[in-house]
Parts: sequence; structure tokens; C-alpha cells
Amino acid sequence: MKILVIIPCYNEQENILDTVQNLKAHCPEVDCLVVNDCSTDNSEYILKENNIPYISFPCNLGIGGGVQAGYVYAKQNGYDVTIQMDGDGQHDPAFLHTVIQPILDGSADMAIGSRFLEKKGFQTSFARRMGIRFLSGLIRILTGKRVLDVTSGYRACNRALTEFYAHSYAQDYPEPEAIIAAVLNGFRVQEVAVEMKERQGGVSSIRAFSSIYYMIKVSISLLVYRFVLVDRGGAHK
Amino acid sequence: MTLGLQLWVLFGAVVYLGIILWMLKHKKLNVRFSITWLISGVCLLIFAACPYVVYVLRDIFRIEMPSNLVFAMVIGFMMLILLSLSAAVTKFSESIKRLTQSVAILEKRVRELETELNKKNDDRL
Repeated sequence: MKILVIIPCYNEQENILDTVQNLKAHCPEVDCLVVNDCSTDNSEYILKENNIPYISFPCNLGIGGGVQAGYVYAKQNGYDVTIQMDGDGQHDPAFLHTVIQPILDGSADMAIGSRFLEKKGFQTSFARRMGIRFLSGLIRILTGKRVLDVTSGYRACNRALTEFYAHSYAQDYPEPEAIIAAVLNGFRVQEVAVEMKERQGGVSSIRAFSSIYYMIKVSISLLVYRFVLVDRGGAHK
Repeated sequence: MTLGLQLWVLFGAVVYLGIILWMLKHKKLNVRFSITWLISGVCLLIFAACPYVVYVLRDIFRIEMPSNLVFAMVIGFMMLILLSLSAAVTKFSESIKRLTQSVAILEKRVRELETELNKKNDDRL
């Protein structure tokens, strides 16, 4: 069983080394791949000096393009399970086995590590929780699937979904859009309870999350995304 | 429309079409993107050569001023061209994304092969 952990990294010089070392300590059997999305800080130097497997973009693609490169790499190298994990230390590698368990069992095509299932660990601010709850409701209306932690970037995919994402992955607001794409294409999505930490340093990619403007943009984007996707319900079963 | 004005418009339309054709000939404009430009140029030429067409169209669409019809058509062409430009940008950004991803993956492979080669050379020495 070949397992790959994709860690997107944009200006994470304070966190990236700890994240990778923490991962290696908890799960020495998995491979990791850091996707350096044209960081302007010392991230690439740190990755190189510490012999961490990484790919580095010549120009900034954003989180969606970065993660997709990881899926392309996984597909090319024949990985069975692909896990996505943030480079900022929010995601605890101790829960890696919990996240991949539904994939190994074959009970789901994608497992999302959710901090709201058991409400343990860092729960983020009230405004963000409200925003996530709203998006969660929207996704439920659009797809009929109930997912609580729609913006969680801690997720595992099996080979079929890895190939699907290598072919097409949302660019603008990838976390919620990827869920819609998976559900509408007949993949089984499941949430598992994990605990998350507060980010250790640097800034989040969803900076203006509390702003209403961001919510409107994501909502419109999700609506548009829902209606351009052809519902092939169950095509992969 | 006075004869003088008509000649000026005719001159403008010919220059406009001439520029488009010149750009096409010197590969400064893609044939795919030039079609909307060419059609708009030909329309302008027809309107300038026989303004009677504009008057007929005005009566068909019941527009009060013939000039408004011309403006409306110009705006219509511009929107078409802008939309096709957005489509082109979307296509390019998808290609750039794909290129960037494969360059990065290939760069990793080259890096690994280089280290392997260096190690082999070191062993031989």
C-alpha cells in the first residue's frame, strides 16, 4: 500500500520543517511531498537543506493548482491513497490513521478530517464557524450530502478519486468545491472526527474568511460550480 | 449623411480592415480571434458604402435615430470580443497551470536523477 501525503506550502518557513518532521515521527511508512507554490520566503531553501521531497512551481498557482499537482504526482507514481494536509501545523499527524481508515476499509472514496464531529481541539472563531456552517448548509442543498467541516484541508482520497482530481480540481475555492465535485461524480464522501490545532505561525490562505464579501464570492462560485457540473450520480460505483 | 462624412467613414473602415488584414498576414493576430474583428470591419464598411442599409435596419427595429443602431451594434460586437477574450484567458490559465505543474514534477525528477548520478560518480572515484 503506497500512501502519499501532499503538503501545500506557501510562505511557511516557520512551520514546514516541524510539520514534516512531526509527520515522519508519527507515520514513517508514508511518503510525503511538499508543494512549494512559489514561496517568497525561505521555504524552498529549508526543504532543500533538509532533504524533504518537494516540487517547486516557477509561478504562483494558488492552493487549488498546488494540491492538484500533488494529485498528478500521486497518479504518475501509482499511489493507492493520497492525503492532503496543511503545511501550517494545524493538522495533527497523530490523526492520519483515523483519516485514512475509511479509505483502507473501502467504505469511502474520500475521508475528510472534521473538527466539528466531536467538537474537540481548536474550533476557530465564532465568525468562521458561522461561515463554515453556512457553506455546509449550501453544500447540503446543492448535493444532498451533509458535510460539517467543508473547509477542512485534511482529507484522504483513494486511487479513483486521486485520478479524478489529477484530471480536474477546482481552482478558486478548492476545499468546498472539491466536495461538490466528488459527490456529484458518484464518489462516497465521509467525515471522520479529528482534533485540529491553532496554526503555529504565518497567515491562513482564507484570510478574509469572516468578511461577508468572501462568503458571497464562495456562494456564487459554489452555485455556478454546481450547475456546470453534470450530475453523473453513481458513475463510479 | 453628407458625402464628405461618408468618405471619411469609408476611409476609416478601409484602414480598420487593412490593419486587421496586415496583422493577420504578419501573424500578429490569431485567425481564431480575428473573425469577430473582421465581421465588425465588414459591417462598418457596408454601412459606410451604402448608408441606406442603416435606414432600412432602423425602420425594421423601429429605432428613432440611425446612429443609435450603429452604436448598439458596436457595443454588441465589443461584448462579443470581450467575451471571447475572457474565454481565451481562461484557456491560457488552464494551460499555464498544467505546464507549471508538469515543470515542477519534472524538475523534481531531474533533481533526483542528478543526485543519483553524482552518487554513482563518487562511488566510481
